[in-house]
Amino acid sequence: MPDNHLSSQFDADLNSLSSRLLEMGGLVEAQISTAMRAFTQMDLDTCNIVIENEKQVNDLEIQIDLACTELIARRQPAARDLRLVMAVSKAITNLERAGDEAERVAKRTKRLIDTGIPHNINVAEIRLSGQMAINLLRRSLDAFARLDTVAASEVVAEDRQIDEEFRGFVRKLITYMSEDPHIISTGLDMLTIAKAIERIGDHAKNIAEFVIYIAKGSDVRHIPHEDLVREANKD
Amino acid sequence: MNTITNVDQSIFSKRKRANTIGLTLSMGAMLLGMVFLFWILSVLLYKGFSAIDLNLFIHSTPAPGSEGGGLANAIVGSLLLVGTCTFFSTPIGVLAGLYLSEYGDRSRVAAITRFVTDIMLSAPSIVIGLFVYAFIVAQAKHFSGWAGTVALALIAIPVVVRTTENMLRLVPGSLREAAYALGTPKWKVAFKVTLRAAQSGVMTGILLALARVSGETAPLLFTALNNQFFSTNMNAPMANLPVVIFQFAMSPYDNWVELAWGGALLITFAVLGLNILARVVFREKVQG
Amino acid sequence: MSNFKSMFDLNQIDSQGGKVVTTNQQSGQAVINALEVRNLNFYYGSFQGLKDINLDIEQGKVTAFIGPSGCGKSTLLRTLNRMYDLYPGQRAEGEINFYGQNILEPGQDLNLLRSRIGMVFQKPTPFPMSIYENIAFGVRLYERLSRAEMDERVEWALNKAALWNEAKDKLNQSGLSLSGGQQQRLCIARGVAVKPSVMLLDEPTSALDPISTGKIEELINELKHEYTIAIVTHNMQQAARVSDYTAYMYLGSLVEYGKTDEIFIKPKRKETEDYITGRFG
Repeated sequence: MPDNHLSSQFDADLNSLSSRLLEMGGLVEAQISTAMRAFTQMDLDTCNIVIENEKQVNDLEIQIDLACTELIARRQPAARDLRLVMAVSKAITNLERAGDEAERVAKRTKRLIDTGIPHNINVAEIRLSGQMAINLLRRSLDAFARLDTVAASEVVAEDRQIDEEFRGFVRKLITYMSEDPHIISTGLDMLTIAKAIERIGDHAKNIAEFVIYIAKGSDVRHIPHEDLVREANKD
Repeated sequence: MNTITNVDQSIFSKRKRANTIGLTLSMGAMLLGMVFLFWILSVLLYKGFSAIDLNLFIHSTPAPGSEGGGLANAIVGSLLLVGTCTFFSTPIGVLAGLYLSEYGDRSRVAAITRFVTDIMLSAPSIVIGLFVYAFIVAQAKHFSGWAGTVALALIAIPVVVRTTENMLRLVPGSLREAAYALGTPKWKVAFKVTLRAAQSGVMTGILLALARVSGETAPLLFTALNNQFFSTNMNAPMANLPVVIFQFAMSPYDNWVELAWGGALLITFAVLGLNILARVVFREKVQG
Repeated sequence: MSNFKSMFDLNQIDSQGGKVVTTNQQSGQAVINALEVRNLNFYYGSFQGLKDINLDIEQGKVTAFIGPSGCGKSTLLRTLNRMYDLYPGQRAEGEINFYGQNILEPGQDLNLLRSRIGMVFQKPTPFPMSIYENIAFGVRLYERLSRAEMDERVEWALNKAALWNEAKDKLNQSGLSLSGGQQQRLCIARGVAVKPSVMLLDEPTSALDPISTGKIEELINELKHEYTIAIVTHNMQQAARVSDYTAYMYLGSLVEYGKTDEIFIKPKRKETEDYITGRFG
């Protein structure tokens, strides 16, 4: 069964679109890793690295969106090709926002360092969910590269865990803040960081949903999880 | 680089030579044909022009030995014969051509009709004249204009049939299909669409048939014969230009010979005129 | 049988050319099919051009047929108005139900059928007559109209084909004096003038420039409210633009048939997807 277009240029364009998405994904992944490292080590320089590199992420979003538009104008893609282009256009938005969240983590970490209020908040959950978020993003991009819908549905399922972690941390934080009002501003910064990580998980989930859309043609956003799994495993 | 140009040159000059030779031969052939055409026309004009005057059209053919005279009866007679021939042969020929083109693509009858038409197209006109003599003149025991009409029609009809069929076949099938697609019955498609689309071509065919029969002599010799006097009675021998020319050209009378040339001039230019008209009519179709 | 005859009864068509609605379509439940093709096989002599075709053509919608050259889409279209009958050696087997009546049964009045199922061809073919006569020709075949009524009908048809403004001052000029795109619209006006139930369009814009093509696509969009339209096109984007349903054919078989949006976003068969994405190798 032929998988290449009659036009090799079209093939090249579509492949280029996919690989640029993965490139952007890799960059965002690196940003999140760096931001988490900055938080764990409370290192100012590392924070600044993240903040500086954020521009690269934004530029990539604009470039890839332009490539999508040009492809549509030139090729009038249909069926699977159309779904790919639509999905890429949306996924880069998710990636760009994930990049914004990484920057937010870095900025808040910077503030924490600058204000320097001593606290005894246990940040293990943040570190843990940070790792989970990075892992989830990597796996969603991986699923995209291979158009593996089973892996994608697993990503969607595991995003819940990050949500759970976040809720747990919020409860703890409330306890901390009610016991010691001095650390409320610190606590709020922590909350922002935790929320940012939770959102990164959501973005990874969105990307995974797009993978199922491209491969199976079903829009699985906002549907019950059992239905999503069924669509993902359909032939 | 230089060697390539050399080789090119020799092939090129060979081709150029062949081109020149071909062109020269074709031009030569054309000139040869034109020379004879203009020679004939100029001789006709030279010899016949003196006969062209009002008398030609007013007086009838003179008796042997008498002076003056004209070709009035022959002209009118020819017009009558050719006119009635056209009147009968046009509908028969067009309808037959229509049948062959639209209905008779595969039938036996059509194949036979075409075969017969082709034979008739090349049948010697004297044979046709004899045939009509045997079947009409001999039975009626007198020559007549009608017999002449029949003989001319037998020559004209195959021409009309052939050209009609060919012109109709040139009409693209897509036009017919478009008419059928509206629910047009077959006969209407044939008459109102196909025939209409081919009308100038068919007209040309009729004009050409006309031109052909205007000059036919042999068939008229055995059928209409000739008439010295002015007459429009088709049941009796009818005067006509070709037979008059035949009779007068070899006679010892000067005025007869002169009239013969005049008649020849008339016929030639009439046929020439018809041919040109046919071309003009056809060209209008192609452009419009 | 009476259903068939009533569909042929021109008195049942209102003055705007619309079909008299015999069932309630408002609720969108009962879908009315203008044509239902069942087990259709078609032969050019011994060569089989169509293999077991089954599909419905819904009333008031545009159905497009796409596929590579030689797939049988034009053949299928030409069975729907029995054009193939003009050529000996071509035969169809199976059923084609036109509002319930099988038009493949012998003993049909083919001319009447073709006045109910009209066809426009790839090459514009105006008759060698004036623009007015071109349109009046078809109408006169089955209706007797007064001069005023005929004038009205001609104007109506030309309006429907978006040609009235360009042609109204030269109704007596030959149809051949129009440009290619105008000629094709004249052919459409001619087809529409007789108020058929179904219009079959065989690659109607293949021979036209993009602007004429656009005008005719716009026309199809407006005509579909009152007529059922089936269109054969080798331009997939055109099928995507104008049709409600698309049928993909290959080598005489119907590979996939469905709503156009679905076919172009999420086709069910890989063969269909390969064709419309240009992976046809």
